[in-house]
Amino acid sequence: MKLEHRAFEYAGTGAFLASVEPFLRSGLEAGEAVVAVVREPNLGALRDHLGSDGASIEFWPAEEFYLHPVRTLKDYQRIVASHAPRRVCALAEPVWQGWTPRQLLEWNRYESLINVVFEGSGARALCPYDRRAAPAHVLDQARRTHPLFLRDGDTRWNADFVDPVTFGTGCDRQRRFPPPRDADYFAIEDADLHRLRAFVAGRAAAHGLDRRAAQNLVTAANEVAANALRHGTPPMGLWTWPDGPDLICEIGDHGLWRPSPLTGFIPPESALDRGFGLWTVRLLVDLMEVRAGWNGTFVRMHMRK
Amino acid sequence: METSWFAKRPVSDIRPGDHGWLAHTGLEERDRVIGIFVGEGLETGEKVVYVSDRPAGRLPGLGGRPPDELDELARSGRLRVIPRRAACLDRSGGFEPAKMLDTLAREVGEAFGQGLRAVRLTTDHSRLLNEPGRPGLARMLGCEHRLGEAVSPSTMVKAICQVDRQACRPDELTALRDTHEVLVEVNPEFDDGVLKIVRTFDPVGLRVEGELDAARHAVFSDRLAQVSAGRGGVHLDFSRLGFIDLGCLNLLAHHAIALPRGQALVLDNLPPDVETVIELVGWHRLPGLARGRDRVPAEEGAAR
Repeated sequence: MKLEHRAFEYAGTGAFLASVEPFLRSGLEAGEAVVAVVREPNLGALRDHLGSDGASIEFWPAEEFYLHPVRTLKDYQRIVASHAPRRVCALAEPVWQGWTPRQLLEWNRYESLINVVFEGSGARALCPYDRRAAPAHVLDQARRTHPLFLRDGDTRWNADFVDPVTFGTGCDRQRRFPPPRDADYFAIEDADLHRLRAFVAGRAAAHGLDRRAAQNLVTAANEVAANALRHGTPPMGLWTWPDGPDLICEIGDHGLWRPSPLTGFIPPESALDRGFGLWTVRLLVDLMEVRAGWNGTFVRMHMRK
Repeated sequence: METSWFAKRPVSDIRPGDHGWLAHTGLEERDRVIGIFVGEGLETGEKVVYVSDRPAGRLPGLGGRPPDELDELARSGRLRVIPRRAACLDRSGGFEPAKMLDTLAREVGEAFGQGLRAVRLTTDHSRLLNEPGRPGLARMLGCEHRLGEAVSPSTMVKAICQVDRQACRPDELTALRDTHEVLVEVNPEFDDGVLKIVRTFDPVGLRVEGELDAARHAVFSDRLAQVSAGRGGVHLDFSRLGFIDLGCLNLLAHHAIALPRGQALVLDNLPPDVETVIELVGWHRLPGLARGRDRVPAEEGAAR
């Protein structure tokens, strides 16, 4: 069954309720598993408005659900899988405030990836965009990531929709800067990564990452370095440097790799699947960027303290 | 509470003055410890004293040797297999701790006279604990205490007291263990200073210590295949695992799905850092792997 992924714009709680209520009621009437992930104050208003009719709806505060795009995709996938074969009807309102431009880009990409990850799930999703609160470019991007738009009670095909591969390619074209000259460098010359892990752990501790974040970064860097050793071309190395609250760790080699813009974003079925390692790296760190070109392959990981 | 006053030592690291304890789960474990203890003693010019009613040719570390060689070892005083009646039983067949100490003193004295640099003593308590008219636990404990007092200050004696775990009650086993300072175990299957792999017998499996990464996948995979061959219910004790790479999760899942239907590869004592990664990806993405027991208070073998 095809995914229905639609967005709508609203201004004010009244308009919000007027659009989401018919959607949620249609899900309840059809016997679907209904989930509502909504920001306050809309969440409270919605619960009050539905009263006991909303008793079977699974409510989540958006502020707790939308913390990390790759993890959120995984969480939605778990919800869809846990209700199968029932269809899921999801009201899904991401948080668009408080992110850096780079983080916002990843949330835009997340909306685009929904179309791939849930393609055949039969799920129905409605994504509300608050015209008063969301930045203008967020509204622009919503038109590129949702194949359907709800306007005045009618759902229409959205001509501005961009397929997720093209969208992802655009995200990866963002300008990135090379490591600063004073970045710490570790040459990867040995298939034994024991010393590399100690190096990353030391930099993580010096940056003030907590134990779990430091360990996650070590596991992620180890995986990317192991991939470089397996598939890359020497010379290869690892740079780390602080960038405000972030510790950046980049691993580069001189091999040519042409990853799909979807690489590492789609949750694998199991650890046996190709792509399990890179997907897990994306889960472990706050942000992973891949830059692959004729001058080599560079994987940059960000970890915030 | 974890009992932390024991030293746990691979059999090849047993030193003079060690009064060691081996509570084994069966012949395989016994032979892999005592066989090495006896064999290494004979190969390095030390004296081996084995208190047992079995003929020398049927004892671990001696079984594969031709009778001529065993005779020669006995003649030269390098190997003494002493029946229990001669070593530690009184005229009526009762256990006589003082006689055990006399036996030890006599054998050590002879070895010293011969210029042998060390004496390896091993004795199997299983029958003593199991047979009719068994000595009381207090008597056994008293003997072990005195033996410990004789061995510990020695610069010549290395001793291992062995017992089959089935031979007595768990509380008796614990009490007897507590009279020893050193817990003896098999030699590690592998140890490169970063990763150590030790065979476990109860449950059957491997204890994996240190860091498990791509450079060590092949050796780990090899040992895992060996211990799994022809048996199910294999457990991996990760209590001392400091790091596992993502490739190894893939390796474990590959191994686990090849197991017979309905069997799982059980991961025991997951450290928080390892568990965090597994929970992040989700157990359901690791088919055939099962979460085992969490850290349990020290039993035999959990001490460090």
